[in-house]
Amino acid sequence: MNLKKFMMPSALVLAMACSFGGTALAKDKFVIGISNTVQGNGWREEMICAMKAQALASGKVEKLNIAHRNTDAAGQLEDIRNLINAGVDAIVVNPADPSGANAAIAEATKKGIVVVAVDQAVTEPSAYIIANNQEEYAYLGASWLFKQLGGKGDVVYMRGAAGASGDNDRDKGFKKALAENPGIKVVKETFTGWQQDQGKQQILDIINSGQKFDGIWTSGIDNVIVDALTESGSPMVPVVGADNAGFVGQLNSVEGLKGVAVTNPGSIGAAGITLALKILQGDKPASQSVLVNPEAWDNTTDEGKAKLKAAADPSLSPEWPVSIFIPDWTTYTKDQIVACKGPGE
Amino acid sequence: MSSALRRQAWVIGLAILLAALFVFTRIIQPDYGADGFGSLVRAALPFVFAVAGQTVVVIAGGIDLSIASMMALTSVTAATLMDGASEPFGIVAVAAVLLLGFLLGAVNGILVVVSRVPDIVVTLAMLFVWQGAALLVRDSPGGAASEWLKELVVGNLAVPGIPTGITDWVPKALILIVVCLAVVWIPLRRSRLGLSIYAIGSSSLAAFRSGVNVSRTKIVAYAFAGLFAAMGGLVLTMSTGQGAPIPGPYLLASVAAVVLGGVALTGGKGGLLGPVIAVFVLRLVRSDLTFLAVDPNVTTIVEGAIMVVVVMLGALLAMRNRQP
Repeated sequence: MNLKKFMMPSALVLAMACSFGGTALAKDKFVIGISNTVQGNGWREEMICAMKAQALASGKVEKLNIAHRNTDAAGQLEDIRNLINAGVDAIVVNPADPSGANAAIAEATKKGIVVVAVDQAVTEPSAYIIANNQEEYAYLGASWLFKQLGGKGDVVYMRGAAGASGDNDRDKGFKKALAENPGIKVVKETFTGWQQDQGKQQILDIINSGQKFDGIWTSGIDNVIVDALTESGSPMVPVVGADNAGFVGQLNSVEGLKGVAVTNPGSIGAAGITLALKILQGDKPASQSVLVNPEAWDNTTDEGKAKLKAAADPSLSPEWPVSIFIPDWTTYTKDQIVACKGPGE
Repeated sequence: MSSALRRQAWVIGLAILLAALFVFTRIIQPDYGADGFGSLVRAALPFVFAVAGQTVVVIAGGIDLSIASMMALTSVTAATLMDGASEPFGIVAVAAVLLLGFLLGAVNGILVVVSRVPDIVVTLAMLFVWQGAALLVRDSPGGAASEWLKELVVGNLAVPGIPTGITDWVPKALILIVVCLAVVWIPLRRSRLGLSIYAIGSSSLAAFRSGVNVSRTKIVAYAFAGLFAAMGGLVLTMSTGQGAPIPGPYLLASVAAVVLGGVALTGGKGGLLGPVIAVFVLRLVRSDLTFLAVDPNVTTIVEGAIMVVVVMLGALLAMRNRQP
């Protein structure tokens, strides 16, 4: 079989490619790889679109290589290694979990590839991190809810996906707020899997079971919960959600709804692209890790109301976070992110 | 064509397809070489064991929808056992997890045999049961793996005296696959039990009338699927250095590779080599799609389309061969 003969010189080619890796700084356009392990979720789709839009707007990206599918940490190892073999200059990764992809990330950085983890942190020290603070996200929303209830009452706790690290971090924040409010009782705890239909079914089941509750905390599956309360005619209770377009719209318009939208920008993906490009051009950040802290916009104070009014954007898909820009990190226009086109598309 | 060659025609066809894909990969990605091959083998690891388990059950005339959940459960168990434990204890953990996998599979088999509910329904139910059990063991990814275990899948074989030009093409992960599959599959295939597995898959009534204990054989087939699933769980822990309770995409991938590998879903026909080569084909297609930077929303369509075309082409060729 002549396959072997055909493939043998590759080691040499690879060695040459590596030795020229050091000249990457002289380049003016880069190839960036993306690895993401959740597909078909509004937040993650916005993240991907933000990455594409930022790559296009920067003018510094020749091509994006996107590995975007539903898989686990082992699948992410595969994707990152494929991106390494594809010869990308940088990889922006939304990790499946904090340490599962470490082996491949270390292999990438050893080859001189810049790796930036977005949304969630990784424990591999050679990677740069720009992430939303998930513990704070849950703590802010839960604290608002418990204060709203006067520190006393029954709460439904609608989490994300069981076993996901983002859910775990949020659980820490929620439990911290819970510990500060001993009068609050969690009467039902569910995992929505971050799926709209599941979340809605769960809250309808809880309503139909006759379970009494005074407030609902959601991990971002929010607008369907308000829909369920309205449709079933059950009393409106305070709801905690994320800054998703649909929920923000409801906070501005639904009669009797008190709630808070906690920001969790999907555009953090674009910030990852910006950071990767900066590092590729020799501008390294002072710290290896940047945490973006969330804001809470509630519709019970004037300040919150103003923020909600300003942020509302009915033209976005209801599952998309409204915070489509991050100051200093994103330079694209709204049209660009909505178009969801990267360089060369 | 001799009869042996004809029987292996599907496998040979797949091997040619894989070789053609390698050539194609070299054309689109001229750097692709030993490193790329090493990555491919490591990516294939968990899929190979998932498909091995699925193959045994499908040959026995069943199907195991709980395979990915068993991998998750054994993976979190392994990562939890090895967390903070000494290096030598890793051996105990591996043995315990393999035994656990065998037992999980046996439970599946016993439920199928005793309840007389169709395999697909029982194992669908067990998919949720084992997944829940995995979440009880660990509610989020974590744990650890012994260093020597992790080393088993990293890098290439190093044998003094053999030039690195050759050993670069022999990733340790490949040795692991060959050894684990051979140690279990070859003796099984050649034993009376292996023959019984084929027999009950072909026709359980005929097997029963020839004196095969159909129930026991089925339970053992499921138990072996569990054993392979445990190997799959272990390689997940070895490559990620931890255990994750949410099952990965191994169920549908295992069924896909079984079909692509020439194993009849009706049972009784096929071997292990075909499905294993099929895994490599599917993983290499995934690599190529990444190299070509194909729109991620299109990649799954391409993967599915390739499967349909290959299986259809194979069936067409088989039909032509049958004509005088």
